[in-house]
Amino acid sequence: MTFEQRLAEIRGRLCATSLDRVVAVHDGAHFIEKPDPVKVLTGFKALGPVAAVLDRGGAVSLVVTPRWDAERARECCPGANVIPADDVIDGIEAALGSSPGDVGIAGLAVVPYRIGKCLTELLPRAQPVDAIVFEPARRKIDTELAYAREATRIAELGFQRLLELAGPGMSEDELASELRWHSKSLGAEDNFVLLCAAPHNKAVAPSNGRRMQKGDIIVCELTPSYRGQLAQICRTIVLGEAPALLREKYDLVSTAMRAGFAAANPGAAMADVCAAINTVLEAEGYGEFCHPPHIRRRGHGLGFGSIGPGDVALDNRIVLEPDMLFMIHPNQYLPETGYLLCGEPVIMTAQGVEVLTHQQAALAEIAV
Amino acid sequence: MQTIHPTLLVGPADWDARQMPREEFDERLAVLWRDYPDASGAVVYGNSNCHAALAYLTNFTPKLEAALAFIPRHGEAQLLIGGGVNMVPAAKPLTFVENLAPLREAAKAAAAWARTLPAGDIIMIGGDAMPTGMRRAFDQALGADRKIETADATLQARMTIKRPRELHVLRAACTTLDAAAQALHNALHDNKRVTDCILLAEHAALRRGAQDVRSLFSLDGGRTLRPFDIPLAERRDPLQVYLAVRQSGYWADGFVRVAPAGDTLQEKIGGILDTMVAAAKPGLSCRDLTKIADAERGSLQLHPLADNVFGNSIGLALDEPPNLVRDSNVRLEAGAVYSLRAGLLDEAGAGAISSAIVAMTASGSDVLWRDSAKP
Repeated sequence: MTFEQRLAEIRGRLCATSLDRVVAVHDGAHFIEKPDPVKVLTGFKALGPVAAVLDRGGAVSLVVTPRWDAERARECCPGANVIPADDVIDGIEAALGSSPGDVGIAGLAVVPYRIGKCLTELLPRAQPVDAIVFEPARRKIDTELAYAREATRIAELGFQRLLELAGPGMSEDELASELRWHSKSLGAEDNFVLLCAAPHNKAVAPSNGRRMQKGDIIVCELTPSYRGQLAQICRTIVLGEAPALLREKYDLVSTAMRAGFAAANPGAAMADVCAAINTVLEAEGYGEFCHPPHIRRRGHGLGFGSIGPGDVALDNRIVLEPDMLFMIHPNQYLPETGYLLCGEPVIMTAQGVEVLTHQQAALAEIAV
Repeated sequence: MQTIHPTLLVGPADWDARQMPREEFDERLAVLWRDYPDASGAVVYGNSNCHAALAYLTNFTPKLEAALAFIPRHGEAQLLIGGGVNMVPAAKPLTFVENLAPLREAAKAAAAWARTLPAGDIIMIGGDAMPTGMRRAFDQALGADRKIETADATLQARMTIKRPRELHVLRAACTTLDAAAQALHNALHDNKRVTDCILLAEHAALRRGAQDVRSLFSLDGGRTLRPFDIPLAERRDPLQVYLAVRQSGYWADGFVRVAPAGDTLQEKIGGILDTMVAAAKPGLSCRDLTKIADAERGSLQLHPLADNVFGNSIGLALDEPPNLVRDSNVRLEAGAVYSLRAGLLDEAGAGAISSAIVAMTASGSDVLWRDSAKP
């Protein structure tokens, strides 16, 4: 699917309603779990608050703040009418003109109140229409899939860099900062480097100033973004020699991940993937650890545009289709070992999942 | 200045009690309570994109998910951390607040906390940054029983005037900015590719312990700036870059232009910046400062990144209010720290921007950092 084909599908959904236009809005604060409807409609990753207006005829206006970023927006979106603005609400008002008609809004729930309040004052009758934008974006377009492959390549190189860099005495923050910078040098404009270390991790959490020690288990999610498309790998590394018990338990988590791969087939529900992972762990007596606070989900979609098809979770009934991109990561807390990270990005194909990594997760050791 | 917001803040943000001891925060809170004598408590929200006030009052930087502080006038504060109970241990080193808990059902939690307070108003800080749904739930949950007073502007006015410890940290941030700028100069002189120059500058800052580094650069002779996308093989001379570094919570930013000796635009822009810095003194209005700068400008056009807004206060936020706006009556204040910029376009459309960070003294200004583009 191309960008144009997806935009046509979104327009088709708009035309199937009584609405005249969709206003998509985003605050420019990019976050791995925050969908960006403007990026879906235009491909543009903004510096500041931004909006896109799609009308029934297929015309797209892109409101850009700060106004000096308009030229980059025009380069990125040659088909859009770019409207530079100091304030995104003023820009939306200009884009809608004097007769806005019936308007739906995508992205309203997650924008900051300072924007949401003004937008609802400007368009008091507008209804949330996130599904019009995001349902067609549950499957990735060709360029997003290509970018996800490149982001995965960068993530795997980042993991090799981690194995070179990490050691006792280095702080978690120093390691995370270096890895983020390294991935940028390889072409990632952003990287969600979630990383921590301890002899027994309760979870994976943002790095802090703790200095790593021999015997620590480093758990990390490396999530580079290449041209605005994220991909992720989840890895576990021991500073020193891994005890046999840890190896045994990591094998269990890896087995659960492979069960997830096997369950991910076109026509299956995402919940089935989660259930397949849980089944492996429950069979070994870890049923109580298959639920919060130990685990919330077994994977997730990958933005920055759409985060569809959503979480690999028991309550996600979305049916899997080719060209969906998501993570499968058992990422399990086990009482004997602590939290273990193990996960790969996958693309759904007609035959099942294609795992994007060249080397799947295995417990790694760093000699100290 | 706006740059691309990163999806996760990864750099060092632990609370350093030697640098910012607990009494520093106690004093800041005491001022807040003096400003709001009828308040019995404060609700302070922050997320990874907007958390200067939260950091000012708790030292906490929300690296991943949002956080909410409940601060009573009397007694200990509570900090609610997004991401669940297992995120709490990792958050502890980032703050002096001892009572940390997971952030769940924020509005209900705030209402329950408010019921424990004696009579009085509740002040809200950061409420405009809350997701729309959360803020509406807050208004509903808190508004029935208590007067909710928005305190952002008042607190921001206090935050604009830097305290001695803040000034000390800002100087350190400027030293890191200077190291990054120097690395940029060195890289260009070594004939590095444009994005390699940026990467080397950013790495120089990270090696000095920077918490965050942001950049923008030009591919069209300084006319427009853009964020890093992918590595580029091109080289640029002159090279126009914007760098921002954050150290111990505090930002320093600068427009750096590296140009060959004798570059006319460089000389012009350096002269204007020097004039602006020399003129900056408490009480001077933005309108008058731009008049002084315009006298140096001649017939050259203002750069779009320095035409209307030519600077701002800087500190725990990169774009801390107030903006210095060309025709405004906003006056420079003693004790404030500003990022000032001058920018021009020449007849051929090439652009140049140069900047400085100045700390306002009682009678003038102290230059904390300046782009080395000299007239």
